[in-house]
Amino acid sequence: MRNEGHPIPAEATSADRSHGARVDRVAGFGAAVALSGCVALPFVEFRENRIASGVGEAVTAAGWLGWLACALLAAALVAAFLPHAIRARALPAVAAVSTAVVVAALGSAATTLQEGQPAFARVSIGPGAWVAIVGIAVVWFAAWRASADVRTRWLAVALAVAGVGAAALWGGVPELSLAKEYAAQSRRFWPLVGQHLTLAGAGIGFGALIGIPLGVVASRSRIARQVGIGVVAIIQTIPSMAMLGLLIAPLAALGVRAIGTTPAIIALTLYALLPIVRNTFVGLAGVDPAALDAGRGMGMGRARLFLGVEVPLALPLVLEGIRAAAVLVIGIAAVTAFIGAGGLGVLVFQGWGQQADDLTLLGAVPMVVLAVAADALMRGLGRVVVSPGIREEAAA
Amino acid sequence: MIRLTEVTKRYGETLAVDRISLEVPTGEVSVLIGPSGCGKTTTLRMINRLIEPTSGLIEIDGEDVMSVSPEELRRRIGYVIQSVGLFPHLTVAENIATVPRLLGWKRERIASRVRELLAVVGLEPAEYAEKYPRQLSGGQAQRVGVARALAADPPVLLMDEPFGAVDPLTRERLQAAFERIQREVRKTVVLVTHDVDEAIRLGDRIALMRTGRLEQYDAPEALLDHPASKFVHDFVGADRALKRLGRVRVADVMRTDVVMTADGTRKIDVAACSGGRFVYLVDDDGVLEGWVDCRVLAAGTPAEEAGTRVDWREAAATPDTTLKDALSQMLGLGFRDLAVVDDRGRLLGEVSLRAIEQTMSGSDAHVSNLAEGEVLGAPADTGEGEVE
Repeated sequence: MRNEGHPIPAEATSADRSHGARVDRVAGFGAAVALSGCVALPFVEFRENRIASGVGEAVTAAGWLGWLACALLAAALVAAFLPHAIRARALPAVAAVSTAVVVAALGSAATTLQEGQPAFARVSIGPGAWVAIVGIAVVWFAAWRASADVRTRWLAVALAVAGVGAAALWGGVPELSLAKEYAAQSRRFWPLVGQHLTLAGAGIGFGALIGIPLGVVASRSRIARQVGIGVVAIIQTIPSMAMLGLLIAPLAALGVRAIGTTPAIIALTLYALLPIVRNTFVGLAGVDPAALDAGRGMGMGRARLFLGVEVPLALPLVLEGIRAAAVLVIGIAAVTAFIGAGGLGVLVFQGWGQQADDLTLLGAVPMVVLAVAADALMRGLGRVVVSPGIREEAAA
Repeated sequence: MIRLTEVTKRYGETLAVDRISLEVPTGEVSVLIGPSGCGKTTTLRMINRLIEPTSGLIEIDGEDVMSVSPEELRRRIGYVIQSVGLFPHLTVAENIATVPRLLGWKRERIASRVRELLAVVGLEPAEYAEKYPRQLSGGQAQRVGVARALAADPPVLLMDEPFGAVDPLTRERLQAAFERIQREVRKTVVLVTHDVDEAIRLGDRIALMRTGRLEQYDAPEALLDHPASKFVHDFVGADRALKRLGRVRVADVMRTDVVMTADGTRKIDVAACSGGRFVYLVDDDGVLEGWVDCRVLAAGTPAEEAGTRVDWREAAATPDTTLKDALSQMLGLGFRDLAVVDDRGRLLGEVSLRAIEQTMSGSDAHVSNLAEGEVLGAPADTGEGEVE
């Protein structure tokens, strides 16, 4: 608090270890991967139509933007070797700008290559660009950790979003095959996203509704612990496709159809259970017995002790369990497309069926975005509801 | 007053506590002590019903503890444990406010009580109120633990090895702080410890237990001088005379007419000693910095060379230090006189080996050898170099 307004608030102490290092190895690794992808692999692929096989095109197809992208990635590599004081600002800046420029370069390459070609021609993101994107993601991670304060971080994010937005609005991004595919699928894309969110949300919601009480019971009784955690652990080992099959018989016995939304939500709930039950149990079991003894000794009743001491102390782990369950369930929800539950899995499987990679990507990329967003949301929630007295101070 | 009558706790076939009867007078400290497994903690925890007695009667100010609900009972009894048990998710202020909140006090009353208590336990309210337990040292945490136990001003305080988990120096400070607080608040205290010195220092009475039975319940002096059994004799140990020094404080035997100067060694000569053995060097605030030995000075050595510079934290006692600790400090440092300072290092006086010897004269012969009959120079009235 005393550092209010100062460029390095108290939070900066969190990443002490990376601060001391002379070289940011993570950033250096990410930048090197991104640069090599950008330079050595085909940046984009040209295809005569949606399902034809592609021809690789180097980053030079993007013109000056391509060169700029490579130069920025080289700059990121250099930034990893700068002293920490400079690195803390240079890395977020270079991560933000290179993100925007790589996207703009993709658009530029798409526009250039499709000039004078028939309307079905497509230019898709090539392996080089994918590698560059993954590398840049690693640089983001390192930049997040190294950046001195919250303001720098969000400034970098805002810069990147603005850059990507500008490239999408005024650059050649709509010419990319993924964008074209989206344009073609836009009418069912958002409903599928909505279905996906509904499925995953219901799975996590029911998982928490059932899992948290189960975890509490497990922390109170040894038998419940052994049986409960054993059963949910076995459930977790069942492959998701097999689970959907195994549900047919019991659901039929109950008179529920084995295809559609209901069995999908049941399966997702079952998968969400393990991380939630286990973390709730571990969180409650980890509460300092001295704090409980002191609480009892001061005259706190059972309910007060539970709500006032145990729950707040177990909360970080419970939230961590829900976070893990969310990421897991968003992934597994794709599979439920097989039993007609809808969701982004529909696009993925149709894309595979038609050998239309763009369609597959149109399903897969939003799933990654959803998982990352859910992860960030839960971490943000933890920052709000967990007491500063027990919060993990680690950044990133 | 706390009264235990024929209190028994049985676990299956085992008798953890066997027909204990004792009385803790209001405002006094009774220490339960004994080897591990003797039932001292069980006895303590039966008083606030964290353990329910199998049979017997426990009364607090004449009221049977079984006649009220355990929660209500415990809110009237302060409780301090070895591992402190502060709630890590709550601030120091919120921790201290636990019982007042349970009792439904008004917000302003709680806030002012918290500030008051932090000051009582020696923590600056403005600095510590909003800290979290993990930001405290072990000693600070236990001070907060004591403040929390005192929050609703309970007449009775139960302490289970409260100073057991900290280093010896911190323990000494906590014990001194406890003595000071107890002089102020005069609670009826039951304290469990396995440290005989702590029992002798803090207890008005000591209850020595063995395998669930009460061996002897007496004042520390009586326990030392008239052990009721061989077990008591052995448990207290052979160095009873030394142990008895744990009952006396430096403040009781120190002399305050010492010569001190804030001018450094410049003006010190034999005349400045005015017959005393030492001229103490202090800074402008009176904080001890060292001393000049007048005998060395008399032998012709210049004052700069006859002086000793010290850190008051290491080479001085406080008025609350027991004579036992002071003696141990003297032996460790090789001093016959020990400066006495307050908790900020300001010189208050000195305590001599001879004074300690006189305190225990007659009670034990082998310790008096330490003094070797040497007579220390008695300082005359204060010299001109004195400050304050």
